[in-house]
Formats: sequence, C-alpha cells, structure tokens
Amino acid sequence: MRVGFLSALSFRGKINLGIAAIVVVFGLFTAILVSNLVTGSLLAESKKRGSSMVLNLAGRAEEQLLTRDYLRLKKTVDQYKALGETVEYAFILDKDGLVLAHTFADGFPSGLKKVNTEPDGDAVGILLLDTGRLLVYDFSAGVHIGDNRIGTARIGLSRQEVQRTGRRLFLAIFAITGAGALLSLILGSFFARNVTRRINLLRASAEEIMRGNLDVQVGTARGRNCWEVMNCGLENCPAYGDLRRRCWYMAGTLCPACANTESEDKRESCKSCPVYQQNAGDEIQSLAEAFDVMAATLKDHIGELETARRGLARQEQLLHTVFDVTPDLVSLQDERLVYRLVNKAFRRYFSLSGEEVVGRTDKDIFPSGQGVLSEDENRQILETGMPLSKEIYVQRGENRRWFHVVKVPVYDGEPADSARPPRIIGLLLTARDISVIKRYQEQLIQSQKMEDLGKLAGGVAHEINTPLGIILGYSQILLEDLPKDSREREDVAVIEKQTQVCRKIVADLLGFSRQMESSWAEVDLNESIREVVALVRHIFQQERVFIEMQLDDGVPPIRGDKEKLKQVWLNLLSNAFDAIGADGTMVIRTKLCKHRRRVVVTVADTGKGISQDHMAQIFDPFFTTKPVGAGTGLGLSVSFGIIKDHKGKISAVSPAPVEYLGMGQEDGRPVGPGTVFIIELPLTDEGLPEDECLDI
Amino acid sequence: MHKNRVPDWTSGMVFALAVALVAILVACSEEESVVRVDFSKREEVTIPKPREDLTYAYLPQYSPAVSYLRHHRMVEYLAKATGLSIRQVFPSSFEEHMSLFGQGRIDISYTNPFVYIKIADRYGAKAFARIVEPSGNDTFSGQVITRADNTDIETLEDCRGKRWIATDESSAGGYLFPLGLFWDHGIRKADFAEVNFAGGNQERVVYAVYSGEYDIGTIRTGTLDITRNRIPIREIRVVAESPAYPSWAYATRGGMDQRTVEKIRAAMTALASDNPEHRAILAPAGIVRIVPAQDRDFDPVRALMAKISGELEE
Repeated sequence: MRVGFLSALSFRGKINLGIAAIVVVFGLFTAILVSNLVTGSLLAESKKRGSSMVLNLAGRAEEQLLTRDYLRLKKTVDQYKALGETVEYAFILDKDGLVLAHTFADGFPSGLKKVNTEPDGDAVGILLLDTGRLLVYDFSAGVHIGDNRIGTARIGLSRQEVQRTGRRLFLAIFAITGAGALLSLILGSFFARNVTRRINLLRASAEEIMRGNLDVQVGTARGRNCWEVMNCGLENCPAYGDLRRRCWYMAGTLCPACANTESEDKRESCKSCPVYQQNAGDEIQSLAEAFDVMAATLKDHIGELETARRGLARQEQLLHTVFDVTPDLVSLQDERLVYRLVNKAFRRYFSLSGEEVVGRTDKDIFPSGQGVLSEDENRQILETGMPLSKEIYVQRGENRRWFHVVKVPVYDGEPADSARPPRIIGLLLTARDISVIKRYQEQLIQSQKMEDLGKLAGGVAHEINTPLGIILGYSQILLEDLPKDSREREDVAVIEKQTQVCRKIVADLLGFSRQMESSWAEVDLNESIREVVALVRHIFQQERVFIEMQLDDGVPPIRGDKEKLKQVWLNLLSNAFDAIGADGTMVIRTKLCKHRRRVVVTVADTGKGISQDHMAQIFDPFFTTKPVGAGTGLGLSVSFGIIKDHKGKISAVSPAPVEYLGMGQEDGRPVGPGTVFIIELPLTDEGLPEDECLDI
Repeated sequence: MHKNRVPDWTSGMVFALAVALVAILVACSEEESVVRVDFSKREEVTIPKPREDLTYAYLPQYSPAVSYLRHHRMVEYLAKATGLSIRQVFPSSFEEHMSLFGQGRIDISYTNPFVYIKIADRYGAKAFARIVEPSGNDTFSGQVITRADNTDIETLEDCRGKRWIATDESSAGGYLFPLGLFWDHGIRKADFAEVNFAGGNQERVVYAVYSGEYDIGTIRTGTLDITRNRIPIREIRVVAESPAYPSWAYATRGGMDQRTVEKIRAAMTALASDNPEHRAILAPAGIVRIVPAQDRDFDPVRALMAKISGELEE
C-alpha cells in the first residue's frame, strides 16, 4: 500500500475508505469466523443429531430385532431416511453383521457395512466417509438389550448439507457486510460531508485570517442567546448583546451561574447551565466557536498591538528626533560593548553611517590604538559601575576640538531595588563639544591677565612719567641754551628725542591701563578707518603694499572713543605692514551682522602669518616677534584693551581664509599665509550677543 | 526534512491484521480423517429366514426387551444343556402368545396359570414344569394398588365405583386373581366406573396408577420390585392382595416329542439357585427354582375361573 496515496486522499475519502475497509475487513473476518464457527457448530450439532438419531434408531429397532419384524424395521429406517435431505441412509445390521433393513434404493453398498461396525460399548461411532460423490458422517450404535448386543443401527448424514449451510451463511453475512459497507459509505459520506464542510469552512476562515480578515464567523448561531435563556437583564454583563462569542468564552461574565468561579472550573460549571445545555454543539461546533473567539480575540489583540505599535513608533520617532537633535555625541553600547544606538551628531563627527556603527565595537570602527584604549576604559566602567567624566582634546587634521565626555553604566532596573540587584546592561556615552567654552575660558583668563598686567604697567608708567617729564623739561631747557650746530646740542637733542619716545611708551602703557581719559561719542567706524588708511596708505605704497577697503555703508554709528578706535586700526595696519614687509595686500572690511546687534571689522593681510605656537600669546603685553628695538609688544595688548572697553571682542585667525583676502589673488600678487584680525563691536549697551555672527 | 506522511505503523497494522485474520482462518479450519467407501459397488440384501428351531416364548407381561433380558440366558442355557436349537420369540400380546401357540409357532410356552389353562383347553398344551417364586413359594397372588396419598381408597370396599386398570384380560395375578378377590367381597366388575387393560404390561398398570390416570390397578406380586427403578414405588400403596394360586407354568404343545420335553424339563429342574451360574440364569427371570408340574396342579385356578366365569369375557 502506498502511503502517499493515503496522504493525498481527501479527509472525506479517508473516512469513507476507512469505514469501508473496517466494515469489509471485519465483515469478511466475521463472515469467515462465524461461518466457520457455525459450520463447526452445525457439524457438532449434526454429530449430536446423528448420534441421537442412531441411538433412537437402535432403541426402536430393539423390539423389532427381537420380534424379527423386518417389515417394521424397514418402515423404521425409511422413516429416518424421510427425516430430511441430510439423512443419506439408515440401516440395521443384526448381531452377525447381516443387513436386515436399509434405505438404499438400488442395492446396499457392500463396503459400507464393513466400516464403523464396532463402536465402543454404548458409545456412538462416528466416521467421516467419502462416498466419491459426497462426504457423509456415518453414525453407528449397537442395539443392546442389557449387555447383549443384538444388532447395529447405522445412519449416514450428509456433511455437504452442513457445509452448504455454512457457505450460505458466509454468503449471507458477506452480503449483509456488503450492504453494511454500502450503507456505511452512504452514511459515512453524509456525516463526513457534514464534518468536512465545516472543516473546510474552518480552513477557509483560517485562510481569511491569514489574509488579515479577522471578521470571520464560522460557528453557526444556535439556539437562544444567554441573556434570553437566563432572562437575567444584566445589561452590564460583557456577554450581553455579544452575538459572536458564547458566554462560556466570555471573560468577566456576570451570570450568577458563572460568577465567582475560577476559569478552569468555568466549563465544568457550564455543564449544569441551561444556556450551555441548549446551545452547546458538537466538537466541531465548539472548535468553530473557539475559532471565532480566537479570531475576535486576535483582532482585539492585534488592534491593541497596533495601537501600542503606533505609540511605540511615535515614541521611537520622538526618541530618535531628540536623540538626533542633541548636538552632543551620544551612543549606547550593550554589555558586550557592541554599539546599539548612535545619534546623528556621533555619526556626523566620525563620518560614519548608522550601519557602520551599530552592531560593531570600538575596535571595529576606530583605529587600533584608540579602539583598544576606549574599549579597555569602557570595560572598566562596566566592571566597576563607576561613571567616568573627563575633558579631552581631539585633533582630527585641522579640526581641533574640546569634548566633555561622560560615560555612565546603564542598569536594567532601579539601583535602589535591593530585592533584585540591578545588572549593568550597557554603557551610555555623551560627548559635548566644549571648544567654545574652552575658548571663552582661555579668553577670560587672558582678559584677567591683561587686566592685571595693565594695572601693573599703569602703575609703573605713572611713576616713570614724572621723572621723564623732568628729563624732557631739562633737555628742552638745555636745547634752548646750547648753540645750534654744536655737538652738545646734538647730544641733548638725542636725549630729548629718546625721552619723547619714552613718554610715548609711558603714554601707551597708561592707555593700556586705562589711565588715559576716554572720550565717548557717536563714532562712524567707516570714517575712522578711512582717516587711518589715508594716513598710512602713501607710506605703505612705497613698499608696494596696497590697502583694499570693503566697507559696508549700512554700518550704523556706534558709541565709542574714536581716537582709541583709530589707534586700534593703526596698530593693526602697522602690524600687517610689518608682517607683509613689501609687496602685499591688506583688506579692511566692515559688516553689519544680520541681527543688527553687532558690527564686525576684519583686517586681513597677505603677510607671513602667525605661527600656531604664538597664536595664544599675541595679545600678551610686550610679546613681539619683531627684532629688538623694532616694536614694544604693546600694540595688540593696547588694542585688546580698547576693544574690551567697547564691550567687543578681538580675535585672530592665521592662516587667513581666502575669502578675507579680497581681490589680491586675482591680481597675481603673492599671497602669504596671511592673518585676519576680527573685531566685533556691539551696537547695544548690553555688549555682544551670545550667538555667533554667521556672516564672519 | 520531516515530511508530512502517514506513519509507517499504518502498513504494519494492516499487515498484522491480515496475519491475524489468516491465523484465525487457519485455526478455524479443522481437518477430519476420511474413510473412502465406494458406494458404486452394491449388493442385494436377503433377509435371513428363521431356522427351524424350537421356539421359547415368555407371556408378554413386559416389553420384549424385558422379556429378552429375563429369559435369554434361560434360552441359551436350555440350548446348551439340551443340545437343541432353541430361540426366543416375542409375542406382542397375551392373545398373540396364545394364537402363536395355537399355530404351533411357540414350542415352549412360559405363561401364567390363567393363560396356561386357556391354551391347554384350546390347543392341548401340556404343563411340564412350574416355577418357585422369588418369595420362595410356588404360588403367587394378585395385588390391588392405588396411590399412597389416595385417602379415598383404604379398603377393597372403597374400590367400588372407581376406575380400574388391569394388566390384561388373560392376566392371572393382574386380573383374574384380583377379580376373584373382588368377587369374594361382593364387588362385581360392573361396580367399577371403568375397567381397562394395559395390554398385559404390568409396568404400564403401575404407571397408570402412579400418574393418577386410574384410581386402582391390579398387578401380580413382585411387579413393584421389578418397576422399582422406573417408578417411585413408595408412591404406590397395596390396598389388598388376593389368595395365592399356582405359579407360572412351562408348557409344550401336545404333539412335542416326549424325550425332548424330558430333556428340557431335566435341564430346567437341574437349575439351582445356590449355583452362581444357575442363579445368573434364574434370577433375571424372577425364578428361584423350576419344579416338575402336571396339568392338575393348576386346578385351583380352574376353580376360580369357574367361580367367576360370569365376569370373564371370552
């Protein structure tokens, strides 16, 4: 038998085939067994009957033998022969074995009286004879009177008749079996169709569910609804009005028969409930109802899940938004230090995509040394649970930045929960760019230093100014007294000139230390710049250094000290000239920032620039890279003080970005690294606004 | 990868079922030994004719089988002792016995004295011996019996108007002697509600009374002992017993060779109960001893017959 055939057969076919096979096999089995048993029983009965008949014949023949009434003897054996078709023959032998009466029509079979002649005592001798035409059971019984045997009675019963009866019985049972099989097939097909139709309905509903349609209804509505049966009037019961679910599938039903019953006992209690007794169907009906309930429950759950999913998606979107909007670098690593989450700032800073980070470790995404160090540090945090906070200076090419890095372990529960000690499941890193703060910090330090130095220099200058005035006074008196073109007059003139230089230095120092008086008024910045440029342009051009002005006419006047500002411009132009030496360009630009709260003045040159080593010191008093005697090192310090007095800010960038160098490149004139000084001056009394000017 | 297939045990189960079915069928088919007999070979059967033997007949007061059982040893003994060829014949009734005797088909007749007198008178029978009863007497009586629980019949007088079954009209103990007893008590045959006969069978009389078919029955003495095994005789009560008369007689035809008669008588009278072999012959026949007899020994019976001749119907 090929099992594949069975597998491919439909359920109804399997049931029909199974029923037919069972009925036929057991019918055949029953027919054979019963016919054999009946045949055996009939044979046994036939033997009993034959034994009884032959004993009866022997008894009846007794008197006839004694009285030698052979006619009656003949009639007697004929009567036995007439008892039925199964009686093949009957005859009587006398004690000498002579046949006295028999039922054979045409002579007595000579071989017959020689067999089965001497049964033991009163017993009946039974012998199966094959006559050549049929099988005959030969029964032999002695005709006894007392202990004397006066003859023998013999009867032959056809075995064929018994076997024919057995065969007829077999055929009858088999025919009944066939009819039973046919009836079983018809009934089985009817019931199977009833079952398979409902199973197919279940299957179709399952397919509908797989396609997403959860509004299936397989179970047929039966009987009356529970609130009609119970007439309970409990309209607040969850089962009330629900046509899709049976009350026994309803959680929280208020039916008194079900109330206060544990769920596992609920179905048991249902068996005595009239609602259950009236409406409960067969197993398939129960399955279909359970299926409907499952679909309805599934729909509810899916609805809840969909709502929860939308909420989670919103939360996730919000989290991602917050995460990505955060300017800090944020990452989350799991307990194996594998990145699970990184924000946009992180990805942008390291120029990595999310796929390149998530699922990887520090060793995978950072250079080997840095990756190993970072991972060792992180692992220590995971092991100790101690958070880490540090400031690091990072230089990536020309990009130098300060970061405040915080690494904290992430627990899977509240640390205070003593019942369940929290477990470290990850590491959260935040790295905030504090470069600006750092710069402010350095500038603050610088400012404080400048202020302290100014006070010191002012004190010194104040003390020196008086003796210098005396020296200058006496020198000028001597010059008036000494004859012209005399050697002495020339010497005193040198003293007077150097004293003038010293007075200027002292005046600068006093200005630096705000010892000089200020004159505050409305100042046109562009005008102050033009006045200074007019003063120096001619001198610079002698060394082929050209000044280019890109002044924004929209710059409003500011409140300040015009002379001091002109001193700043002069210092910057003078420094620029010294940096260029010869053959260069300066560009002075003014610009009003968009928010109209500050003015920016930039002074750029194509000079040799400022090394990075010196950049932090250029505003320090007396710091100069010029040869001895070529500069005092106070120009930028004084300018720093003046701008600070104006609540402004001065900074330098070197090499200067090309956009600050104006048209110089197009002229083909040599361009050095260059430097640009950026002066920001507020337009309001509050000083510079906190936000940067993006137009710089 | 697992495939969704019908498990292998399905085919195994089918195979096991088939094996079981075959085993049962094999177990059910029981072969018997057969003897071949050729029915095509036939022969004509000829009924053996009786030999020309002396015939010995016992008055059929019992069934032929009982008659056979009681006397076949006697017949075999006589044949052996006398050297004669003797066989027992079984008349079916008293009348037939007498008729066969008359026809000469019974040579040795063993009858009650009433029948003997009849065949002696009719056919010239000659008594040559008579028996001694198991009671030790050479006489015997008739008995009137009723059911033990029949309180209506306590005395012979109570029998009047009752239904009576007798053994045979030719029965001595079973009819003639009780009839004489009733005569002596002034009870006539006509005084009974019904008089019927059991064809000479003593057992049948006892059973008819036992079953309540008849109120009273008449049997010869000794019958109750014989029927003890078949009928619970404690249910039978003997109401009255007749006077004793000469017991049964052996008679031959008048024309039989006297030497043959003497041989037979000698053999019979030679039987002795103290001889175990002889006792095995005598006891079944209800005989203690056989003594020589003559016709006049039975005159008391003739006297009785004469006394109640009006009651006897020929």
